[in-house]
Amino acid sequence: MIGRLDRAQVLLAAALAGLGVMTVYSAHADWPRQILWVVLGAAAYVAATVYDYRRLASIAPALYAAMLLMLVAVHLIGHSALGARRWLSVAGFPLEPSEISKLILVLVLAAYLARCERVSWRVFAGGLALLAPPAYLVVAQPDLGTTMVIAAVTLGMLYLGGARPAQLLAVVAVCAVALPLLPRLLHGYQRRRLEIFLDPNQDPLGAGYNLLQARIAVGSGGLFGRGWLHGLQGQLGFVPERATDFVFATFAEEFGLLGSLVLLTAFGVLLIRVLRAASVAPDRFGELLAGGAFVMVFVQVVQNVGMNIGLLPIAGIPLPLISYGGSATITTLAALGLIQSVIVRRRPVEHPEGERRGLGTISRRAQA
Amino acid sequence: MTSWGPLVTLGGAAPRPRWSLRLTAAATGAVLVLGVLAVKLAQLQVTDGSRLAAMAESNTVHHMVLEADRGIIYDRHGAPLVENSPIWTLVVVPAGLPAAASDRAQELVTLSRLTGTAEPKLAAALLTANPYSPVNVMNGLTQTQELAINERLPDLPGASLVQHSVRTYREPLVFGHVLGYVGPIDPSDATRLRDAGYQPNEMIGKVGVEAGLETLLRGRNGWEDVQVDARGQVVRVIASQPSVPGDAVYLSIDASLQRATAGSLAAGLARDGKIAGASIVVDPTTGEVLALVSLPGYDTNLFTHGISQADYNRLLNDPDRPLLNRAIAGQYAPGSTFKMVTATAGLQEGKITAQTLLNCPPYINVGGWIYHNWASYSLGWMNVAKALATSCDTFFYQVAAMVGDVTLARYARAYGFGTAKEIEMPGVMAGLVPDRIWKQVQCGVPDLNSDACRWSEGDTITFGIGQSYLLTTPLNQAMYAAALANGGRVLRPTLVHVVLDASGRTVLAQKTEVTSTVPASAGTIQAVREGMREEINPPYNMNYWFRRSGVPADGGGKTGTAQYGGSGLDLPTHAWFIFFAPYAQPELALSVFVERGELSEVEAAPIGVDIMKFYRGNVSMIRSGGQ
Repeated sequence: MIGRLDRAQVLLAAALAGLGVMTVYSAHADWPRQILWVVLGAAAYVAATVYDYRRLASIAPALYAAMLLMLVAVHLIGHSALGARRWLSVAGFPLEPSEISKLILVLVLAAYLARCERVSWRVFAGGLALLAPPAYLVVAQPDLGTTMVIAAVTLGMLYLGGARPAQLLAVVAVCAVALPLLPRLLHGYQRRRLEIFLDPNQDPLGAGYNLLQARIAVGSGGLFGRGWLHGLQGQLGFVPERATDFVFATFAEEFGLLGSLVLLTAFGVLLIRVLRAASVAPDRFGELLAGGAFVMVFVQVVQNVGMNIGLLPIAGIPLPLISYGGSATITTLAALGLIQSVIVRRRPVEHPEGERRGLGTISRRAQA
Repeated sequence: MTSWGPLVTLGGAAPRPRWSLRLTAAATGAVLVLGVLAVKLAQLQVTDGSRLAAMAESNTVHHMVLEADRGIIYDRHGAPLVENSPIWTLVVVPAGLPAAASDRAQELVTLSRLTGTAEPKLAAALLTANPYSPVNVMNGLTQTQELAINERLPDLPGASLVQHSVRTYREPLVFGHVLGYVGPIDPSDATRLRDAGYQPNEMIGKVGVEAGLETLLRGRNGWEDVQVDARGQVVRVIASQPSVPGDAVYLSIDASLQRATAGSLAAGLARDGKIAGASIVVDPTTGEVLALVSLPGYDTNLFTHGISQADYNRLLNDPDRPLLNRAIAGQYAPGSTFKMVTATAGLQEGKITAQTLLNCPPYINVGGWIYHNWASYSLGWMNVAKALATSCDTFFYQVAAMVGDVTLARYARAYGFGTAKEIEMPGVMAGLVPDRIWKQVQCGVPDLNSDACRWSEGDTITFGIGQSYLLTTPLNQAMYAAALANGGRVLRPTLVHVVLDASGRTVLAQKTEVTSTVPASAGTIQAVREGMREEINPPYNMNYWFRRSGVPADGGGKTGTAQYGGSGLDLPTHAWFIFFAPYAQPELALSVFVERGELSEVEAAPIGVDIMKFYRGNVSMIRSGGQ
């Protein structure tokens, strides 16, 4: 089994988690705890790798119900931070159900879409219907960022599952119609974030401050960075949420453009490895699972880095494996472990037609 | 695990990925999007890198000005007249306040109680400010308040105490008009003095010696480049240059004589129900001012400790005008004290000699106008010395008429009348020496032959007794007395004995400067001095004050009761007394001015005699080495 692992993915995940701990340490956050999260995440990774992912398809409805239960519980007994109710306290540890819901939704959608070969309009609507309850519960926390991530995960999986262009265009059309209504639906602070994103200079010391300081931090890193633990903006506390939402700014200030490109490349290679897992998956469930994990990680990386460098509006999305936080770190590592579970159970070598004929290997049907 | 049995039988050969079109599209899209991020990153970190790095530096590196200690002002013997006392300001960096709303509210309540500022006002001030700059919450904390707040600081995140020093004047009612005070620099001065490195709101000398010697007292500010965190806490000092304290100024003032002068003047004013006056004591050999008093005084500490608008308005609108330094800026007719000028002109121009006898009738008639003597009876024939001693007006009317206004004005100017003295404080007034050209220029009437514009014979003869349009200041009078004492040299008055820098080197030392010499022979001056000597000796009444005080009448004096506010009889008057002593080798010259004084011999002269008495009793101390 070890021999069939995607070793590159293991190394990339370990390297990213290591960089994460280094950055969290530099950002003066609770780094021993982050190490604990990584260790727990590694355990989840190993467990997920060993576990046969195919068994998850059958318990998907139960997982979905558990996810909704947790999200409802957040509203009833959750702890709030920064104006939003997001946390559950489990045996003294903070648990963020919206983080876990990202992965559970990937599992549920993969199980759902795996049952049908083609994505009919009915199936497409069914996928959106699965998204609706958790999306509502998360947006009501309020956590617009995570809502956008799970919406993107749903659409991405529908696409990878074979949704027709017309179906995706329909969603785009509905969004385009709904967009003018958006300002009314947004909370005051969310609307403000959007306005500030559109014009960060309008209030440089107020709401635009976070964005501006993050940009200054990133820019001041220059080509080579100020060096680990030698950032100015991050070390001296000018970067807000320097270990979580704006961890990339802390990283980019200390490691510079070269370090940032290494980080982006690592994420890029990791993402390609995850897609590769989809391409070798032995079944449609595994393929969709890997595809969903790809979208989940990709959207978070893009949203987090994008907001740190001022390309996207501020939304509280962690940078996978880098940001401080237990739920997100463990969820991401568990997802990557599931990908390994898919990989080690991949279908056999597929030879070119000529070779296959010559060698007379088993037909693809035998795999199923 | 049973399901991967068939896979294992393949012997672990490398699987070949089966990339569907959608997976390829997703991979391509991901790479493209990450590429966009990389391009934007390169733009931020390379193209804008240095600009943003500079912004990071300015965020985190603060240039702090280290204010120099202002120089201390001492009297000539080294007694400090002002000190820099510490004062504290409570500042709060809003970003340093607790993050939790309830803790923050609790801290605001505590701050509100400590400062006495209403909580909503405090909250508004803190929340509207730049969250990373300190906000002044309470200025001018005393040591007791500082101690009380300092105890609470550990429970008040974001709050800190900043120390400044503030000028505290000793005996401001005695020394106030000499020292003046400092105050925050005016915006207009701040612009003008920007090159000198003044910070907005920096304290600068406003009046008195504080203003006159500003450049010496100020010192040189230092600076410190410090790294601060987002809460405004200093993390480390990057570079610094210490400040250089201002120079120590030893005034020519003798503190004990200043106190005695202020005391004598205050007592004399009180005795006669008067409120305002001035007195200046100078050394007639050097021009050093030993005492300079203007009454009423005011508490200069009010200005340095942050004066309230009510207090300021009260001082500004006080009818007794305590803010006016009458010693240097009060302009009044000299009256009979001017007669030595007329005498000098008459003698030197050959119109009279020391022996010439002129009649002293109760009045004379000039051009149909009657000009009275102070006495309603004839004092008979007299020479110039007796005319000075008796202060006969009609004698000097005649001399003035003989000399003429132009010549008289020339002698007045030679004695220093009409010139603003260059003393080490701003606001010195010149007084006025009138002549016919001045009258035509100032009259403002188109008809130059009207009474307002044309110089009359009456103008000349009243000029001769220190009236007409003549104005002088108590300081000019003291220097005039000094010139009569030293034989006709008009000295530049100075308040500086010596100025030492921080390392004890002499920056500035008193230097005697003669600004003009009276164009008169020794004999002329001698004749005039003789008149002043006679005035304070028997048989004249003035001698009474000397006898009463036990002070030998060894010197020369002259009183003057000057009318003001127009022309005619029964006008209000000011009282003057100028004096020098001893007669042979004068050590001291002084002027005494009593605003609205009615009889100079009774109101002004005793004050001068009192001052002289203190001087004689303490001469060895006053004249001891000093600094």
